Amino acid sequence: MIEMLEKGPRLAKAQNAEVGASKFCPGCGHGMILKTLAQTIDELELNDKAVFGCDIGCSLLSWNYMNVDTVQTHHGRTTPVIYGVTRANPDLVGIAYMGDGGGLAIGSQHLVNAAVRSENLLIIVANNTNYGMTGGQMSPTTMPGQKTETTPYGRDCDVTGRPAKGAEMVASIADPEKSFVARASVSNLRKLKATFKKALKNVDMGGFSFVEVLSVCPLNWRTNNVQTWDRLKTMEEFFEVKDFVQREGLE
Amino acid sequence: MTKTHKAIKVENVAKGKADWHLYTDYCKGCGLCIVKCPKKCLNWSKEVGIYQTPAVEPNPEECIGCGTCELVCPDNAIRVEKK
Ligand SMILES: Cc1ncc(C[n+]2csc(CCOP(=O)(O)OP(=O)(O)O)c2C)c(N)n1
Ligand code: SF4
Ligand code: SF4
Ligand code: SF4
Ligand SMILES: [Mg+2]
Repeated sequence: MIEMLEKGPRLAKAQNAEVGASKFCPGCGHGMILKTLAQTIDELELNDKAVFGCDIGCSLLSWNYMNVDTVQTHHGRTTPVIYGVTRANPDLVGIAYMGDGGGLAIGSQHLVNAAVRSENLLIIVANNTNYGMTGGQMSPTTMPGQKTETTPYGRDCDVTGRPAKGAEMVASIADPEKSFVARASVSNLRKLKATFKKALKNVDMGGFSFVEVLSVCPLNWRTNNVQTWDRLKTMEEFFEVKDFVQREGLE
Repeated sequence: MTKTHKAIKVENVAKGKADWHLYTDYCKGCGLCIVKCPKKCLNWSKEVGIYQTPAVEPNPEECIGCGTCELVCPDNAIRVEKK
């Protein structure tokens, strides 16, 4: 039976309560990542300092998701746009949110240069192993044998090379005295929040943070609820979930 | 006028220690919560969500009010209120 209640859903303050349901597909990992990010911003009381940038790809559907100042820009360019903001105003806490395509293919040079220069921002790459928004083509992180629109017989690494491992790549070039680099997963949102906490604290201390989050895309994966969680387990076997670089003082 | 929210309300789960709510204008019927419920007591509902696909509701006898479903829901559709 449907009732009318005065009390609404429990949303973080950093989440925009005006918009109602998000623009993501049913079961999309972007919703899980962003609601966790919003809760972390609340808990660290960064609501007045946080600036959120979203990319091209399904991340852009979050242009009105957060209740913090938001900008949307092109594939992977969210990184330089956001560190431009924090260079101009170092008191702000910059967050650049993008997909695996935006972060690791089309915008990868920005990621590399931001990491070696320890630019002051948090980069979040939501890794759903495909180009979600454009219909599910192969991306840099598509797993060996994974079927996508452009690898209908499964990804053949002899032809396409091996999947990109974003967190390992960034960890190998990031300055250990200024950086936090991790891979997390939407399979455990409490742990994801703990990871975001360290990442945002480091940014607030002037450092560079990178968090790759293993995510789900039920629409393009063509998976039901059970298969979606199962596929994420397979991803966690291939992409190691851990903190790779953690500067001192981030407990 | 105060804003009201369309919801399925299941009172007194967990032996009366919690109330369970689902906001149908938020639930997209993905079913991810059903898989994560530790008691396997979430089922498809006769009521529909925002896309006119089935929402979910728990068996009140078995639900322990743990809040796992609220935690995992990508769309903030569930609120478990401990009393
Ligand atoms: C410079 C540029 N090249 C290509 C595109 C087309 N395009 C839009 S979204 C997208 C894929 C995004 O994939 P990803 O970054 O993994 O995000 P997801 O949608 O999977 O979350 C592409 C290739 C574009 N918008 N701009
Ligand atoms: S296409 Fe995939 S990533 Fe994009 S909103 Fe839908 S489920 Fe999410
Ligand atoms: S509160 Fe816990 S036991 Fe009850 S339906 Fe949700 S996940 Fe299942
Ligand atoms: S309550 Fe949330 S997780 Fe469960 S089916 Fe609805 S949208 Fe999906
Ligand atoms: Mg992607």
